Parts: sequence; structure tokens; C-alpha cells
Amino acid sequence: MKIALIGNQNSGKTTLFNLLTGSNQKIGNWPGVTIERKSGIIKGTDFELNDLPGIYSLSPYTSEEAVSRNYILDEKPDLIINIVDATSIERSLYLTTQLMELDCGVILALNMADMLEKKGLTIDEKVIERELGLQVVRISALKKTGIDELIEKIKVYDGKKNSVKTYPQPIEAAIEEVSDTLSDDNNKRFVAVKLLERDVLYNIDSDSVVMSCIKALENRYGMDTEMMIANFRYDFVGEVVSKAVRQEKKGATITQKLDKVFLNKWAALPIFAVIMCLIYFLAVGFVGSFTVDFIGDLMDKLGVIVGDGLKNLGASDWSLSLVRDGIIAGVGAVLGFVPQLIILFLCISVLETSGYMSRIAFMLDKVFKRFGLSGKSLIPFIVGSGCSVPGIMTARTVEDESERCATVVLTPFVPCSAKLPIITLFTGTFFGSLGWLAAAGMYLMAIAIILVTAICLKKFYFKGSPSNFISELPEYKLPSPRYVLRDVVEKTAAFIKRAGTIILLCSVVIWFLLSFGWNFKYGVDIEDSILASIGNCLAWLFYPILGEWSWAATVSAIQGLVAKEQVVSSMAVIAGLAEDAGGASILNAAIYSFFTPASALGFMIFNLFSAPCIGAIGAMRRELGSTKAMFKAVALQTTIAWVLAVIVAGVGNLILLL
Amino acid sequence: MAKNKTLKKGERGHLSDLKIGQRAKVIDLHNDNAALRRRILDMGITKGVVVEVLKAAPLGDPVDIALRGYELCIRKSEMANIDIEVL
Repeated sequence: MKIALIGNQNSGKTTLFNLLTGSNQKIGNWPGVTIERKSGIIKGTDFELNDLPGIYSLSPYTSEEAVSRNYILDEKPDLIINIVDATSIERSLYLTTQLMELDCGVILALNMADMLEKKGLTIDEKVIERELGLQVVRISALKKTGIDELIEKIKVYDGKKNSVKTYPQPIEAAIEEVSDTLSDDNNKRFVAVKLLERDVLYNIDSDSVVMSCIKALENRYGMDTEMMIANFRYDFVGEVVSKAVRQEKKGATITQKLDKVFLNKWAALPIFAVIMCLIYFLAVGFVGSFTVDFIGDLMDKLGVIVGDGLKNLGASDWSLSLVRDGIIAGVGAVLGFVPQLIILFLCISVLETSGYMSRIAFMLDKVFKRFGLSGKSLIPFIVGSGCSVPGIMTARTVEDESERCATVVLTPFVPCSAKLPIITLFTGTFFGSLGWLAAAGMYLMAIAIILVTAICLKKFYFKGSPSNFISELPEYKLPSPRYVLRDVVEKTAAFIKRAGTIILLCSVVIWFLLSFGWNFKYGVDIEDSILASIGNCLAWLFYPILGEWSWAATVSAIQGLVAKEQVVSSMAVIAGLAEDAGGASILNAAIYSFFTPASALGFMIFNLFSAPCIGAIGAMRRELGSTKAMFKAVALQTTIAWVLAVIVAGVGNLILLL
Repeated sequence: MAKNKTLKKGERGHLSDLKIGQRAKVIDLHNDNAALRRRILDMGITKGVVVEVLKAAPLGDPVDIALRGYELCIRKSEMANIDIEVL
């Protein structure tokens, strides 16, 4: 049996999905977390459950909402579990009235039952069951109540369909008349209503039965049929709600109290600034400098111990060097950043699940509107500070097509967690105790680049219609520690796994290319190595930034395409093999001695803002829909980064001369 | 819009004319963008529904309104296309 999970945005579909299937899909407390269909098997059964993006209606508005409608109409699930947020039941049941028009059976799961009491609401689900002709189960996906009962109802589901009349008699008669003309037997009532609504996805002949029905109804009710049907649906729902729901007056809810502070006219923006600064200060500044040194020392010791061990075993020089200077140096350089990533992931996860994310979009919409973006673009940017790939995909919640494309192109400018090692390494080495200030400057620069590029894109590229912003404001929720923990562990594990696979492989390749010359003899001077000659061919690209012909920096920057942390890893392997490391930082090696604070800043800027890694480029291709658009975006990003890097390095060096 | 005097009870105007705390009944809605109008209808802004302006974003736009037991954020430019009568 194929089952679809359908409900409004942010109604808890994915939380229920995870509970029923035992999987761990991403959840959050803002509308639009789920952007693709996810399948799983309900535990203890062989039923296939499909989690779909949240929708408010079967007339989809954004691209991710279309996924849900298309799934229902094309894949024809056997049963729909309609998850309804009990705390905003009226709007939720509006969708239910549309689902009831399909041929498919519907079970209604009344979610967030645990929140009702706090809002002073009492709901009689027996009344809803009777009025809608549907089975209703009261659940709380968060507190895990009512789940067994829901599974039981699914098991005994017999495919019986209700027949409840939602509209006044004249409309019902028109629906009847139109559905009699339909040749396709599927979802007749649904299609008839869609035709009467003049749904854009259906074609209507001007002299058809449909058209004459529409005309007659519009004359009778004095409004267009689209509005008419929406009105009568809400009237029907209002009737049901007035019978089933009792609202007692309650004092201000926690959400209202919190919003008095977090959305306060004067305090809101300063509070937002403090929260964001705190997150990156914790991740980049405080923990960053402390733990990176600690793990760096640990890796040095490990290198010595393993080196001695291998020597005692009689290992050859080259195998010793491969392990110590290639693998341990390369992988170790990246692993040192794990603690700060844990903090960053933790903060983002809390932001996402608390309900503050939607408020950020609400607060800053007016600013972003000026720059041709929506307040909702901020969500991809913040998600992108963890990893660009989910950030780019989250852009689907932005309704307007040109705003969405602009958001996709701009998201990689936000320094992601893999770029954090680059920031920490360079600012720590060249700016000492002021390193955190330089790091903060990088984030501010990212914001500036995003805004300026957005204006240019709007002016010259996307000349779309003026956009809009329509979003519900979710209630604040205490983030579930269990979920946050799992989320952080999963993301951290993915980073460590990358260090053990891609970074390890690259480190071995880099070591090989450094240790061998074109004559394939081991032990050449690194200046004569294969890698050096490759780098020398391309070093002109970076000469304007570095003011030095450096093959080492060149090859490292190019490896950022594989994964951004590989830049640091590669620089570490090269420094190690140059044999004169012996400083506190990789960058103290003689091979990097040409770096001035200005050229270091320039080099860092290039690495942060140029083409993102392959993974993010792939995501951009998918979301922009064409390889050509992707290449354009990558060229744009790299050009901006290069020009900016040259300017910063040039101006910086001038200042240093004075 | 902000310069307009406060609408009194029974007076008609646009949703964007309301001050924070005012309640009104929706009379009609028109929008050149058909998809957007549909979205607004789907979110529950239909004829006869009662809405209350709860708060504005710190910069004045968008605005948070309460209707049908939930809160909806919407820009003033969209609210200007919604006709209301103050309650």
C-alpha cells in the first residue's frame, strides 16, 4: 500500500514520518523544510510512506509545492494521511476539503494535541469525524502519543470513501454536470472543481458545458468562481470548526511574550545582530583558536609516534613520508576544525528548530526587498553557513522565480563550514589576537558581496515581476535535544567521513605529486616535483593577488574545487614536505614566507568567494536547471572573488608600505 | 499610507490602512497577479473573514495579521489590494 503524508507547511509531517518509519530526516520550525519527496516503510508493516513538502492548497504556488500535487495526481497513492495542525485547525481543514474531493481515502491525524491546552482550545474529534466523514486520530508527533492508534487505523483501512457535500446546492449541481462530461474516470469530482475554478493547469473551451456553468454561477453569486469556491470551502470549514472547537480566553501565550522582545521595534535588530555575532564568535573565535592548536599539537605528536613506530619496524623512507607528511599532515590539518564545526552545527540546528528562523525572514524582508531578494532568502543563507548544498536547495521556498535563482547564485558566497578552516588558519596566523575581527570582517564582506551582487543581478539579469512575501509565523518551540544532538552528530560525522575519504585520497595524491619528479624517481626536491611544475603553469592566475610566483598556493587554491577544506590540507602537506615547517602554523613554513597580511587576506578572499566545491556546483546546476546557467554563475562568482582579492591585496600592501 | 488618518469603525479602506490592534472584515480582494491572488485566498483571506493587525516588522513592513486562528505575515503592497470595512 502506498501512503502519502499531506499537510500544511510546518505541521509536523516530517516529525511524524521519522516516527513512523524510524528514519532521521531533517526537521525544523519554519515553513518549507521538506523540499523533496522522501519514502520509507512504516515500522512493523510493508506500507510505503511518502513524506511530501507542505502545501496549503492543491493549487501549488512554489516549485516544491508542485511536487506534492503532482505526486497525488500522478502516483495515485492508496491512502492519504492528512496531518492537521490542531492549533490552526481552520486553515488546515481548508486543504482537507480539497483532499476529500480526490478518489483516494483520507485519514486525518490531528497533530500537536499537546499544545491545545496552552492555547485554551478544546476539540471534539468525534464531531470532526462525523462532519467530514473521515477517520480522525488525535496524535502528538513530538510527544509520540496516538501513534499506535494511527498505525492501527491504517492497517484496518478498507478503502471506503465518504461523500460529504461541501458546497451549496447550485455549485454541487454544476460539479455533477461537469463531471458527467469527463471521459477520464480518475478523480472526477476533483477535476470538475478544478475546471470550475478555471485552474491554470486545465484548458477550458469557451463554448463548453464548463464555461456555461461558470457563467451561471458567477451571475448568481456575483464573484468569480475561484473566489467563490475558496469562500464556500472556508464557510464549510468554519461551520465544522464552530461545532467542534471551543476557544477559551487565555492570557498572552509564550510566543506572544517572546515576540514582544524578539520582534520589538527597537530591540529586534540589535538582538538579531548579537545572536549572529555570538554564534560566529563562539565557532570561529573562541573555540576556534583554542581547539585548533590543541588538535594540531596532538597531530604532531601522533606523527612523531607513528614515524618512530614505522622506523622501528624498518619501514622505508618513502612509506614513512607518505604516512607522516602525506596522510597525517593532510587529514590532521582538517580534523583540527571538528570542534568548531560542532559548535556551528549546534547553533544552526537550534536556530532552525526554535522558530526564530521565520522571524529573521520577517524582520529583514524590507531590507532584502530593496536588493531584489525576499526575506526568505535569508534562510538559505543561514543554512548555507553550515553547508552550501542544503542552503542552495532550501532556496526553493522562495516563491518568485528570479528571486529564487538569485538566491541560488548568492548562497555559496556565505562562508560554509568547510571554509571555516581557511578563515581560522589565515586570520589566526596573520592577525594574531585580532584574528576574530578579521574573521568577522569576512562574514560582513560576504553580506556586502551578496547585497551588491543581488542588485546587479536584478538590474541586468533577472528583470522579474515585483515579488511578494506571504508566510505564516510559527510558534516558538523548545528545540528537542535528542533531535539537535542527532543532527549535529550526523553533520559532524559527514565532515569526518570526508576527511577519511576524499581528503585522505587527495593528500596521498598530493604527496605523490610532490615527492616525484617527471622522471618518476622518489625524493626529488619539491621545487622539481610534478606538482610544482603544474602549479608554475598556473601561478600567473594568482600573481596579482600574491605578488609572488607561488605554485604551492596556486595548486592549493585550485583544490578548493574538490572540497574547500582541502585548501588547508594541501598547504599543510606541502609545508610538511618542504621540511622547514617548525613554526606554530603551517603558514610559518619558508615556502609561504612571501605572504604579507595583505596578500594573505586577498588569497583568503579568493578562496572564500570563488567557485564553490563540486558538490555545491552540482546543486546549483540542479536548481538553476541548466549547465549553461551554472557555468555563468560559477564564472560570475570566480570573477567577483578574483577582482576583489586583487583589490584588497593591492590596497592592503599600499597601506603596509606607508 | 502611514500618513492617512486612522480609519474609524464602519469606514471602508484597504487592509494596509489599518493601525496595529485594529480589526476589520474583508470585503473584496483584487490582484493583477492571478497566482498571488489565489495564494492569498488559499491562506484564508476570503470575503467576510475577520482579520486583526497584530504587529509590524521592526522596519514597518511586512505586517503580521491574525485570522482564522493563526498568524500570517504579508507585505503592505499585498494588503493594499484587499478591501476591508473596519470593525
